[in-house]
Amino acid sequence: MAHGKTAKSSGKTFLEEVRHMLGGETLASCYQCGTCASSCPVARVSERFNPREVIRQSLLGEKEEILFGDALWLCCSCYNCQERCPQKVEIADVFYALRNLAIREGKMPNIYSEFSAGLMSEGKIVPMSKFLEKKRADYGLPPLKPANMDTLRKILSATGFDKLKKKEEPQ
Amino acid sequence: MDEPKVGVFLSEGGNQSSKVLDYDALASFAKNVAKVVLVERAKEFWRGDGLKAIVNAVKTKKLNRVVVAERLPKLSEVNIVKAVEKAGLNPFLVEVIDLEDHCARPHRNKPAEATAKAKAMLLAAIERAKLLEPLEKLEFPALKSILVIGGGIAGMQTAEDLAELGFEVQLVEKEPFLGGLASRAGRFFPTDDCAICIQAPSTDVKSITHTSRKCVYRSGFTEIQNLNVLTNSKITAVEGVPGNYRVTIEKKPRYVDEQKCIRCNLCAEVCPVEVPDDYNVKLKKRKAIYINIPEVYPPVYVIDEKACKFHECEKCVKVCPTKAVELDQKTEKKTLNVGAIVVATGFEEYDPSVIKEYHYGEYPDVVTNLQLARMIDCFGPTGGSIIRPSTREPAKRIVFVQCVGSRDRRWNPWCSSICCMISLKNAMLVKSADPETDVTICYIDIRTTGREHEYYYERARDMGIKFVKGRPTEIAHDPEDNTLIVDVEDAVSRKFLELEADLVVLATSMVPTQGTKELASMLGIELEQDGFFKEYNAKLRPTETKRKGIFLCGGATFPKDAPTSSLHAHSAALKAAKFLSTGKIVKDQKTAVIDDEYCGDCEFCPVTCPYGAISLVQKGEDHFVAQVSELQCEGCGICVGTCPLNAIELRHYRPSQMLAQMKALMSVNGTSKPLILAICCSECGHTAVDSSGMAMLEYPANVRVMKVPCTGILQIHQILEAFKAGAQGVMVVGCKTDGCHYEVGSPKAKKKVELAKMLLKEYGIEPERLEMFNLVYIEGDKFAEVAQTMTEKLEKMSPLQLSSS
Repeated sequence: MAHGKTAKSSGKTFLEEVRHMLGGETLASCYQCGTCASSCPVARVSERFNPREVIRQSLLGEKEEILFGDALWLCCSCYNCQERCPQKVEIADVFYALRNLAIREGKMPNIYSEFSAGLMSEGKIVPMSKFLEKKRADYGLPPLKPANMDTLRKILSATGFDKLKKKEEPQ
Repeated sequence: MDEPKVGVFLSEGGNQSSKVLDYDALASFAKNVAKVVLVERAKEFWRGDGLKAIVNAVKTKKLNRVVVAERLPKLSEVNIVKAVEKAGLNPFLVEVIDLEDHCARPHRNKPAEATAKAKAMLLAAIERAKLLEPLEKLEFPALKSILVIGGGIAGMQTAEDLAELGFEVQLVEKEPFLGGLASRAGRFFPTDDCAICIQAPSTDVKSITHTSRKCVYRSGFTEIQNLNVLTNSKITAVEGVPGNYRVTIEKKPRYVDEQKCIRCNLCAEVCPVEVPDDYNVKLKKRKAIYINIPEVYPPVYVIDEKACKFHECEKCVKVCPTKAVELDQKTEKKTLNVGAIVVATGFEEYDPSVIKEYHYGEYPDVVTNLQLARMIDCFGPTGGSIIRPSTREPAKRIVFVQCVGSRDRRWNPWCSSICCMISLKNAMLVKSADPETDVTICYIDIRTTGREHEYYYERARDMGIKFVKGRPTEIAHDPEDNTLIVDVEDAVSRKFLELEADLVVLATSMVPTQGTKELASMLGIELEQDGFFKEYNAKLRPTETKRKGIFLCGGATFPKDAPTSSLHAHSAALKAAKFLSTGKIVKDQKTAVIDDEYCGDCEFCPVTCPYGAISLVQKGEDHFVAQVSELQCEGCGICVGTCPLNAIELRHYRPSQMLAQMKALMSVNGTSKPLILAICCSECGHTAVDSSGMAMLEYPANVRVMKVPCTGILQIHQILEAFKAGAQGVMVVGCKTDGCHYEVGSPKAKKKVELAKMLLKEYGIEPERLEMFNLVYIEGDKFAEVAQTMTEKLEKMSPLQLSSS
């Protein structure tokens, strides 16, 4: 685990900041039982991600470590941890709150900027390719219609999505 | 009643008071008040010569009202009232006020203002005293008999204590045998005693010593004089009042004559019916006629009604050598008249099958701590060996999982407090029986808070028991080699472990016993949010309930280990004994009275009374009126504040008495500031004023304090009357809304103040002139602060002009 140099100075404010975000409300209930960690399919295969540790760092206010690190982006949103958490911490939702916070700070992994660019230009996070079109036809699915970009842009603009930009590459 | 003859006694004892207050002026002021026949001054009046002077004056001057200004009135009033009573005056005709902490100290830098306020306080006390009425000391008969509900370790010890103290005790147990959950635990921590070991009652004349401990079955428990044990019985109705409860009991038939059975076991041998044995948590089967273990009490077989084929079979009847089996026994109904009730219904293991990821009930080798305890017990289903229920082979790898269903907001959010120790105990018993057994405990936190408990944890580590810090996410089953796999992260080493086990033991949560809710509603007592019985006050009255004469002990209030249950049981016994010791209940008559003429059919007061003291009785064809049980009334006055028709008054705090006091307090200002009436409850509110004085905090002298028993007594029109009497602002000071000494008074007052504010607005009066403050006793600083800010706020407003003032 990274050394928490910010635990004292900014600890409380960061915890409060996360708790006031949508999805982050239940963070402080965590008592570190580790049910989430043993439920997590990602933690099983990657040392880079352990949900219990991300929550722990958030509780201690290690803002830089969390927002600059890549652990946050490795949650696969299977919600296993959230289903089994005995303290009803909405763990996966806390990660969404943390991701939003990271993006607000300008920290967005490449793949996410690609997703958002795709969404804003074509209305799809995964661009259509010849391969995908053929696959759809093979499965008997109708060809995809282009998205209604006018409406979508209105939504993206109203929600402030279009203003999200990355400032630098996460480590 | 006689014409009031008021004697005023001014104590100048406090240093502060004598420096600040002009006693000459106060004395001459008091002398000129109508009906005052005597004003005396002394250093102090609450003891020694001062007290003698009061007694003397009451006797010689034929005083019938006594007003004393004395320091520390909460202490001195006790002495003064006692002395006055001895002198032949009714003790309720005495009014004691505190000129030091309520006046001299907080206003010490403004002597003239302080003296003016003291005059108002004296006048208020005199005017109130004139209207006081003599009240009686009430006595109610109380039966010297006690019902104990629940025959586990707590109930048995309470029953024994009380019976030996000479009370008639009825011990009711719903199961056919005594012992409860504790007797199934095999061994107890931290003494490693047998679970069925109890303190031997002194009935055992032959071998009783100071240190006697015996098995339940050797103790002669049921032979204690004055003790009647009713097993297989349940409570079906409770009526009556404290000191005289009528309890209906339903005693299920045993179908075996208690006097004839010789426990030869022939009946069980021939019985053809086998059912899962609940006593051993379904680890084995038992016959339809059975006893749990050989050492049970009473030592008599019983027939399981649901399983027995009765006259279709009759094999036990035929084989019984003493003709003890009686298949035609019927359920008996009994009525018990008792003075008090002790609830000792304990707790039980939570059924963990709802936690799907642990597969309890699905994988036979996943068991609970109680099941393991039954295996460890040599009288248990496995004769003391630890086996895998699936194959009956020895279990060599055992994993304990802590906090199953407890500390879990999905099921039971509380820490059941004893499961860590239970697992440590069971793990060590397993390990010492076979040191080769591999034992691991998966925990979130190990809680060993009792005496010797940490040593227990130490010993467990020393024995080679492994500890993994993590709560498993799942217990899986590998059907190939019939192995259980416990999926857990060890947070300390950051490793993901897949622990292989032959047996997984769940340390399940402890929950209230079945039927707790029904029993609570029959007894008219409350449950906590967790479903356990609620004690009156966890700190000071941990074995009492809101209803007088109903006591709690043992696990009924929360899961407890055996030593704590014992402690609780003896404590409850003492409280119950104290309650009934004189055979009567004595209380004063500061109770609510209802005016039948105005009372009309609504159900507000009976529903609101926190003590269930008010009931509706029929008067006329379909006209009902409320009736107050003087025995149960605690004198809070909340009913007064609730009654929409002003049909209720509280003795000693009648509206006329309060109004006179209010007017007097507002009659003299002496400051340039707007007068404020602070209506304070006698519990935290009034004492917060005391403590601000004691702490030498200052606030302006325009704040005048009036005491009421509970802010719940306030009626909206009373608040308006305060303005009419001349108050520019009104502060209502009560306990914290969740800490009201009368439970619902302070939150009700809060709502009423909100309503009154709306009304004030309607009348064109600034609603900010009225505020409610919720303080605790020690918040004297807060009182001084709000008194100051309230004054400043009112100073900014233009004076209130009411037509009649």
